[in-house]
Amino acid sequence: MSNKYLKVTNLKKSFGGLKAVDVHSLNLNTNELTSIIGPNGAGKTTFFDLISGFQDSDEGKVYLNDKNITRSQPYSIARLGMIRTFQLTKVFDRMTVLENMMFSASTVNNDSFIRSLIRLPSQKTTEKNIKEKSFEIMKDLNIDHMANSYARELSGGQKKLLELGRSIINDPDILLLDEPLAGVNPKLAEEILQIILNLSEKGISILMVEHNIEAVMKISQRVIVLAEGMVIADDTPESVRSDEKVIEAYLGSENE
Amino acid sequence: MKITFKSSLTILITIFSIFLVFLLNDEGEIPILFNLLTFAGIYGLAAIGLNVHFGLTGLLNFGHAAFMGLGAYVTVLLIPHAAGREGVVITTGLPFFLALLIGIISAALFGLLLGLPAIRLRGDYLAIVTIAAAEIFRLLVRDLESVTGGVYGIINFSNSLQQYRSGFIDNFASANDLNPSQIWIAFLSWTSIILVLLLLRRLTNSPWGRALRAVREDEDAVRALGKNAVWLKLQSFMLGAGIAGLSGVFLAFNYGTIQVSTFVPILTFYVWAIMILGGVGSLTGPIFGSIIFWVIISETNGIAQLIFENANGQQIAGVRFVLVGLLIMLLMIFRPSGLMGKKEELLLDVK
Repeated sequence: MSNKYLKVTNLKKSFGGLKAVDVHSLNLNTNELTSIIGPNGAGKTTFFDLISGFQDSDEGKVYLNDKNITRSQPYSIARLGMIRTFQLTKVFDRMTVLENMMFSASTVNNDSFIRSLIRLPSQKTTEKNIKEKSFEIMKDLNIDHMANSYARELSGGQKKLLELGRSIINDPDILLLDEPLAGVNPKLAEEILQIILNLSEKGISILMVEHNIEAVMKISQRVIVLAEGMVIADDTPESVRSDEKVIEAYLGSENE
Repeated sequence: MKITFKSSLTILITIFSIFLVFLLNDEGEIPILFNLLTFAGIYGLAAIGLNVHFGLTGLLNFGHAAFMGLGAYVTVLLIPHAAGREGVVITTGLPFFLALLIGIISAALFGLLLGLPAIRLRGDYLAIVTIAAAEIFRLLVRDLESVTGGVYGIINFSNSLQQYRSGFIDNFASANDLNPSQIWIAFLSWTSIILVLLLLRRLTNSPWGRALRAVREDEDAVRALGKNAVWLKLQSFMLGAGIAGLSGVFLAFNYGTIQVSTFVPILTFYVWAIMILGGVGSLTGPIFGSIIFWVIISETNGIAQLIFENANGQQIAGVRFVLVGLLIMLLMIFRPSGLMGKKEELLLDVK
């Protein structure tokens, strides 16, 4: 059961004199919903960037299902089944919601220049299939009525949903969610949490960075606390909540 | 193209600008019109290539003149020509259409070569690199006199293409007192525009076009979704560069000579002006933008003379670009998406 999908050893990244990430060793277990919390500037997003290939680490190794992905390109990591979202929602503004979904569902082969030039019947079939699949997911996320609107016309919350839908359309094994609840109203936040829980129950391993501590404690099976780039706690939500180092990191030391 | 308010308005403005040619000239209207339509065809084709870069993929390319120049130089050097100060005559060469094909492919490969190191750069940085690369190209061509003829240019190559000229072009030209060589180039460049637009319509409505637009919108998201954004951008760069190469060949044959001074940065900016006028991201926009642009360029004499009595050449050139600038300013205020651009896809807000 406790199969490890991600192994991180001695991962370091500095910006000038500032140590952004300094993780000695970290393993993530398959089918687990893990959250990373920590004060602002704790290195959470940088850690995400390092394991998803968006930034190169100074030292250390990252293994995805025992494959070394240190310094791999983001797209090749994504093709291995680990898909990330972004803290500042990145939707394709001047494309329709449906196009956003269909682009994400489409494979590299289907996108190829030659195929698009020749227009093989197989491409039409693929397009029809991914269109259906896109509508299915949009319906689940309740954005199907916006299918033909430009993505930039969506509200902030709908953009979060679209980004989430885009990242799950190709059935990833692992989802890296960077603040999926940021800037979302409480009711929609509930809905998104429920969606994340459902995905987790479907067997997707999820690693989530989130500032909403209540939400994190409610749904996570494991909570990792980062402060100044280092892991200061790594346990079940209950133990982390009462961990003194965590309280100190969040609230400052009690002995001034 | 659907008949919408936008397209009817654009066509009306275009017809009006052609009408201006007849209004402002007392004689020789037809040769003037066909001369400007030739340039409009060639520059329009270049703007269509630029639109693949900027409108479709969001690549800020300010080195378009080099792609045009490379296509032209490679093609012309492969066919019989005379180059340099002594006019060294080379009588053997490839058939024109084979040379043209190699020229277009070379321009596309030049795009690839330039793109490999540069395409990872975003926005303004790519613009700086492309403009520098275009200048390097121009200086290289100027100094490699033994091959390219340097500042003396290349002459005597037109016949390779003109020998294919159809009889009906000759008949049409002589009936209207036109230069048949130029009409042949006009015919070829407008035919190329139609073919290239058909090709692009097919490509932009395909998954490939969708992927390019996604790159234009957000490269990081594209990479996070498992797509190789760099390769997509390189493909777009090559396609646009190839189209530019084709238009450069027509430009050379229209002049009948190749001069280093043809492929200068100002050429790039003419093409940019045409694309912005016509509408960034619109397939057909550059055609209309190009016609209107060339009406302004060729008819400013009359307008300048209305403003200054006895205007000299320099003053006319000044007025010309004041007018183009004014038109683009008005356009940006009242119709920022250009004549044919979609308001929803307004593409000039480069990040």
